[in-house]
Amino acid sequence: MNKRKKVLASLLCAVVTVGLLAGCSSKGNGDGGDKVTLRMIESLTSPKRTELIQAMITKFETANPNIKVEFISPPFDQADNKIRTMLGSDEQLDVLEVRDLNVAELVNNGYVEPLNAYADKWKDYASVSAVSKSVGTVSDKLYFVPNGLYERQMFYRSDWLKEAGLNPPTTWEELYETAKKLTDPAKNRFGFSFRGGAGSTGTTDAMILAYNGDKVNLEDSMFTKDGATVFSTPEAKAAMELYLKLYKDTSPPDSINWGFQEQVQAFTSGVTGILLQDPDVIQSLQEKMTEGTWATAPLVTGPTGKALFAAGGAGWGIASKSKHKEEAWKLIEFLSSPAENTAFSKDYGLIPIHTSATEDEFFKTGPYKTLIDMSNKPDTFVNFKPPFQYPGTGNWGQVAMESGQSLLLGKSTLEDTLGKWDDFWVIQKAELQK
Amino acid sequence: MKKQRLFILSGLIPALLLVLAFTYYPFLKGIIMAFQEYKLFDLRGVHFVGLDNFKAAFDDPKFLSALENSGYWVFFSLILQFLFGFSLALVLKKQFRGRGVYQGFVFYSWALSGFLIGMIWKWMFNSQIGVINDLLLQAGIIHERIGFLSDPKWAMISVIIANVWYGIAFFAIMLLAALQSVPSELYEAAVMDGANGFRRLWNVTLPYILPTIIATTLLRAIWIFNDPTIIYGLTNGGPAGSTHILSSLMLDRIIYAGDYGAASAIGIIMIVILLFYTIFFLSVTKAEKAGEF
Repeated sequence: MNKRKKVLASLLCAVVTVGLLAGCSSKGNGDGGDKVTLRMIESLTSPKRTELIQAMITKFETANPNIKVEFISPPFDQADNKIRTMLGSDEQLDVLEVRDLNVAELVNNGYVEPLNAYADKWKDYASVSAVSKSVGTVSDKLYFVPNGLYERQMFYRSDWLKEAGLNPPTTWEELYETAKKLTDPAKNRFGFSFRGGAGSTGTTDAMILAYNGDKVNLEDSMFTKDGATVFSTPEAKAAMELYLKLYKDTSPPDSINWGFQEQVQAFTSGVTGILLQDPDVIQSLQEKMTEGTWATAPLVTGPTGKALFAAGGAGWGIASKSKHKEEAWKLIEFLSSPAENTAFSKDYGLIPIHTSATEDEFFKTGPYKTLIDMSNKPDTFVNFKPPFQYPGTGNWGQVAMESGQSLLLGKSTLEDTLGKWDDFWVIQKAELQK
Repeated sequence: MKKQRLFILSGLIPALLLVLAFTYYPFLKGIIMAFQEYKLFDLRGVHFVGLDNFKAAFDDPKFLSALENSGYWVFFSLILQFLFGFSLALVLKKQFRGRGVYQGFVFYSWALSGFLIGMIWKWMFNSQIGVINDLLLQAGIIHERIGFLSDPKWAMISVIIANVWYGIAFFAIMLLAALQSVPSELYEAAVMDGANGFRRLWNVTLPYILPTIIATTLLRAIWIFNDPTIIYGLTNGGPAGSTHILSSLMLDRIIYAGDYGAASAIGIIMIVILLFYTIFFLSVTKAEKAGEF
């Protein structure tokens, strides 16, 4: 090797090494002068949603020329991990999207700031619905302001029901009977869009809670008012017996593995007749199905005439290590204002967080109307707080799904399965009280 | 001389730093976590728990079935990928019109990500709206729809089929390269000696490319063992955990349970299995001088 080459090689090595080391060092704040740069990250990323949020941010930046917002949109599957990693490694993060699913985890690790002090000074806070406040609250403190709510309702093929001379079902028992009449495997037609894969607890929990009815402790919804788990009651057993029948008699066998995509796809492609879903599917139903072939109805109730439902959602919170909390709140206040939030909810298919928004004609007609109707009958449609404060809550879906599948396959008995679920929550309670 | 050494060392530094930071540090950290209670939900409560994570793994029927499934997964995927890949390489060795284009098409699967392949096959296997059921029904081969991913009898077979489809291209590429390096004089001599097609394959081609075969199959076995992406995309281990292999179960522990301790313990068990495998691998390759390429 001649000398010149050697020098070049050494230089190259030096450059690479320095580059590597520089990559390790933490990033500076980047806020030169008076201009504040906020870093904001979303979790429930989807192309359309990102575009809508970006548009709101641009509006905010125009109104506040001294604040710049750097918006990070990781792919949905990795978003929560990315957020955790950024928080864990003390990277600058000011506004983050917190989900009902993981808020307890973030609070527990001290990553997010309570927002009560800011919210109390906010003029529009009064019109934020009680449900929205409750979604963002962990043990009396508000940790995020939801950017919209998800709430389950029933979607059904009105043409199929009409053809068979049936009315939309109002109870779980009726839902089963109706679905059974619609089922004709020879025509590849099934009554119910079953979901036995990821997210199966959406059905099992809903049925068990509806059957337990008044017994359920609404603040601690996996337990009855007597302190036993909701899975230990005879009502739970009755609910699960119907659940098994729903799968065997009214659903395609394949649906044992179905998650969100398959469940919705089966409904839009004309394989299944009844779908229980959140309003974010409305747009894809409108796009893929002929108008007049489908309609919405309220959730079905249990034997005592009650349906328990929970509103889910994600929203904006402030990282506890943020150096620009005032500016971060300003951004959250802007995004959560009645005007911005209502427009966002309309465009993306969510329930707006302000009670004033339900006055809007848009929510009074069409597929959203059912949801408003439901909220007008609080005695029938009872709101409960999901058990997100427990450490195992993230794992519950997976545990219940796998044991539920094994029940559907006939590999384990109903008693064993309910016993397992009962154990799971007894242990959760013990761990929380530790 | 000393200067020379110093120069070499400084040249190695960037690569060394990279390997240390991105291979050995996570590796060590993983070993430590395997002996800790390390849950995302409570990062302030991390503490050592001895062998608890390992005990929990071996007490878990899901882990044991994943261990068994890993065996099937590697064995059948490997054999079938090899057989189809080798046949494909033999066909592609011959000159024919449009060979380049054809080659591009069949090698394409290798360029896709495992997760994407999982997603594609998931829709194809769907029993209600999937194309596979549809074709089989129309051809009159079956009369009832098969729940490829929902019937535990079929689920493991289905994920292996998808994996075979994915891996054929790898063997075809590697073996085709080896086949093209066999000197044509050997075949000419074999023809002179009166060897037929099968004898030429058995006595000339195979011995010549044996080192490549051994090296690729042994390496590929490790990749298949470690790769959870297809299963993650296709069934996510379902139904009822019946298609989990060790690596997908490890992912499951991280993604759903946020339990890094339990996941790391599974990781360590995988490392031990691979360690034994590597010893076997090295002794075989040494015997056959397979490390030449």
